Amino acid sequence: MITLTIDGKKIQIEEGTNVLEAALRNGIDIPHLCYHSDLSVSGGCRLCQVEVEGYDQPVTSCGMACAEGLVIQTQSERLTAIRRNLIDIFLADHPLDCVTCDKAGSCLLQKYAYEYGVKETSYIPIYSKTLYQDDNPFFIRDHQYCILCGRCVRVCDEIVGVHAIDFANRGFESHIATPYDGPMIDSSCVFCGNCVEVCPTAALLPVSRLKRGREWDLERVDSICGYCGVGCKIEYAVKDNEIIYAQASVQESVNGSFLCTKGRYGWDFAVNPERLTQPMVRRDLAYSLGISTENWRLPKVSPLDIDKPDVDDYFIPVDWETAYEIVSSKLVDIVKESGPDAIVGLASARCTNEENYLFQKLMRAVIGTNNVDHCARL
Amino acid sequence: MSREKLDQMADRERERQEKFDRRVFCCISTACLSAGAGRTMQALKDGLEASQSGDKVEVVQTGCMGLCSRGPLVRVRENTGEETYYADVTTELAEELIAKYVPLSEPKAGDEALAPEIIETRSRLEAARRKRTLKKHILSQNLPFFTKQVKVVLRDVGYVDPEKLEDYLAHGGYQALYKAITEMTPEEVCDEMSRSGLRGRGGAGFPTGTKWTFVRKAESDIKYVVVNGDEGDPGAYMDRTMMEDNPHQVLEGMMIAAYAVGAYHGFFYIRGEYPIAIDRIRRAIRAARRAGILGDSILGSDFNFNADVRIGAGAFVCGEETALIHSIEGKRGMPRMRPPYPATSGLWGKPTVINNVETMASVPAILLNGADWYAKIGTDQSKGTKVFALAGQLTNTGLIEVPMGISLREIVYEMGDNVPGDAEFKAAQTGGPSGGCIPMSHVDTPVDYERLKELGSIMGSGGLVIIDSTTSMPQFARFFMDFCVDESCGKCVPCRVGTVQIRALLDKLLEGRGQVGDLERLEEVCEIVKSTSLCGLGQSAPNPVLSTLQFFREEYEILLPS
Ligand SMILES: Cc1cc2nc3c(=O)[nH]c(=O)nc-3n(C[C@H](O)[C@H](O)[C@H](O)COP(=O)(O)O)c2cc1C
Ligand code: SF4
Ligand code: SF4
Ligand code: SF4
Ligand code: FES
Repeated sequence: MITLTIDGKKIQIEEGTNVLEAALRNGIDIPHLCYHSDLSVSGGCRLCQVEVEGYDQPVTSCGMACAEGLVIQTQSERLTAIRRNLIDIFLADHPLDCVTCDKAGSCLLQKYAYEYGVKETSYIPIYSKTLYQDDNPFFIRDHQYCILCGRCVRVCDEIVGVHAIDFANRGFESHIATPYDGPMIDSSCVFCGNCVEVCPTAALLPVSRLKRGREWDLERVDSICGYCGVGCKIEYAVKDNEIIYAQASVQESVNGSFLCTKGRYGWDFAVNPERLTQPMVRRDLAYSLGISTENWRLPKVSPLDIDKPDVDDYFIPVDWETAYEIVSSKLVDIVKESGPDAIVGLASARCTNEENYLFQKLMRAVIGTNNVDHCARL
Repeated sequence: MSREKLDQMADRERERQEKFDRRVFCCISTACLSAGAGRTMQALKDGLEASQSGDKVEVVQTGCMGLCSRGPLVRVRENTGEETYYADVTTELAEELIAKYVPLSEPKAGDEALAPEIIETRSRLEAARRKRTLKKHILSQNLPFFTKQVKVVLRDVGYVDPEKLEDYLAHGGYQALYKAITEMTPEEVCDEMSRSGLRGRGGAGFPTGTKWTFVRKAESDIKYVVVNGDEGDPGAYMDRTMMEDNPHQVLEGMMIAAYAVGAYHGFFYIRGEYPIAIDRIRRAIRAARRAGILGDSILGSDFNFNADVRIGAGAFVCGEETALIHSIEGKRGMPRMRPPYPATSGLWGKPTVINNVETMASVPAILLNGADWYAKIGTDQSKGTKVFALAGQLTNTGLIEVPMGISLREIVYEMGDNVPGDAEFKAAQTGGPSGGCIPMSHVDTPVDYERLKELGSIMGSGGLVIIDSTTSMPQFARFFMDFCVDESCGKCVPCRVGTVQIRALLDKLLEGRGQVGDLERLEEVCEIVKSTSLCGLGQSAPNPVLSTLQFFREEYEILLPS
């Protein structure tokens, strides 16, 4: 552990941490656009400069390793001037469309322009990029808003391991591109959307949120992704009881700031009218158990052969208690009649490890059979 | 290979060379080649063959002789050591030269046995003997262009055949390496470099001995040496010349560096626009490997070293050391923040020495002649010599090697023989797109790292462009700004966007749309780009503008409304 002082506050931190990270972890916000805690350091935005005791010139805090006894100031007149100048330069190549922009309210460039009081650029606005790409159903790429922070490139390479995008061309002509600027679908992209998540501006946006309201119009609902056993924390942005988009919820989650394509984009089932929301019992069983008074037998045509079978034709909804009751009594009957080995249990990868553990325990200790397997092994 | 074998090879070559009455050297470096030296060389060879006197005279292809503006250049060196230089040697002149210097021997088998084209050449040579044009092409050796030079790095360039290891050996090649690995510890080599005062010739002037010591002390099983041959300054060609014209000297310097820091592998990073340099360095590596100078157990010691070539794709920024490292690693050539410096974390995260071509080429002479000898040349803090590519509006342009501290006046008025025509000398630009202009009023400034910095310029890698009174300085500054706009890597915002804004302001002025306050604004933007950019490119991109604003403000002021 190393002790350093930032804005008069004594801070203890592990060796190897950079000054910006140390400040952020201790609730001190140094402006930063290119830095992201989970990605390698870039140094391209130049915003995070701080004053270091003993140094004449300001130092880029994301690129400086914490050292014992460092004394850092994150605010000073000189720093404010530098940051204003930099935001000013950013805005020279960034259309000021905040009044209609979907990202307004969560755009970092807007945030810092607000904080440092930069109303408009003092430069001659010269825009380097105009490309707009909506070549996939998941996200759009609107290059005019891209500030080339490179977060998307790094997340794709370092976290996702796909490296579908990178910088193309040089200098003012630089832009983020798939190989040969081809459509996303022709690249190695897996549409995980992590680039969209880390993008500080409106250059990458989920298709689902376009013109669907801005940050302050959206409600946040924390949840756990149901797709697999990892159990990623997920945050749904909701409006009028509809999901607008999903993103990783950073706090104390197993998944940090990242999600896979299913969790991020595969939530349309949530409001699908065909979604099962409670246990169902087949109508003939329900009749025989006295839950339903309506006698019913399986129709001649298998539901598998019907194009869109209506679930209500075959099942009736019951509460959970009833459902458990039926399952457990049936299992007891089978064990009594044919012995425990007449039962086989098949566990699911969508359950957590703990759930799967409990399940095999149930099969072995309660039912009394070793007939238990898992879909991941099949 | 053992020392004895090395010496034998050198002796054999020396003896072979001494057998000739005279040797005719023809420059086949890029500048002369583009002036037709390929044809000149062929004419010399054909003439020699037709003369049937190949045992008396040798025609040798060599590198740059300096006065590139007068190429193709040919030098005749008598066995006695006497030398005559000829400038602008066309193919006709080449035949006249052969006619003058090569006796037309009687063919042994009689004329009938000779091929018809040889008979034809012989009759042309007979005729050429009566011509008198050659005399007019003699270049006096007493020209200040030659007498003011002190050759350390370029000593053998123009004498040695760059494609012949034996020739390099005959000139004392690889003796310095041998001395280092047999008589000196790595520490002693580093100390010797420190004492010599050699500073990096790539631009920043960092003390080479200190850099090597850092890497030597860095703890790591794997270390690398990289020779920076990316030379991107417009108009500069010192490094290209060195690699093309005496590649073994650069390789030897690199190997000494490797020995000094404990590296077993090295890379030459050469820009793709230098195909001849790439070819010559590759040949040198192959030849050295075959001779046992490169590889395992070098010269019988337990020092192992291997080298490879990596080719750059023409980005100026890839000359910046961290971008260069990324490029060798197969990544996009973009700089990163330092520290860590390459000396602690370079190629693939390993301690790495990166030195400029000229820096490496200075090393063998320093080791052979001693640090004290080298430190005697130059000024207090800038030791040794510097090679400059003298270009622009000057009578004599070309490659010169001068002692540090020589005045600009001597270079411009004496060596360069002043600006041609009616125009006058106005300014000298050093350091290329990262440098500044030194005006006439400072023409007596000694050229060294400190003085140039005081004047708002830098030594740079050796581009020296002379500007005459017909040039508009705002236009000139715009040229360099345009270069920086094109060459910015795009990583950081001040450089990517700021340079475009500076160019736009210059355009506004140059197109007559200037407004009061524009010059102050220009200075302000330049300062922002300079102070906030990530790497040296952006940090120095505004220099040409700032320096011309400082010394030639009136040329900007007339662009404003009165
Ligand atoms: C934009 C930029 C371009 C550079 N280009 C070159 C180059 O072409 N050749 C070179 O030797 N050094 C170049 N340098 C300097 C290198 O980064 C490095 O300092 C040098 O190779 C170190 O060698 P030295 O100590 O022998 O000078 C460049 C630096 C910058 C910032
Ligand atoms: S969606 Fe995922 S895979 Fe595709 S570019 Fe973005 S980060 Fe890379
Ligand atoms: S698309 Fe977004 S994350 Fe990627 S470089 Fe541009 S602004 Fe940064
Ligand atoms: S200063 Fe220019 S060249 Fe250097 S990192 Fe920034 S954009 Fe790239
Ligand atoms: S956050 Fe440090 S330079 Fe961008």
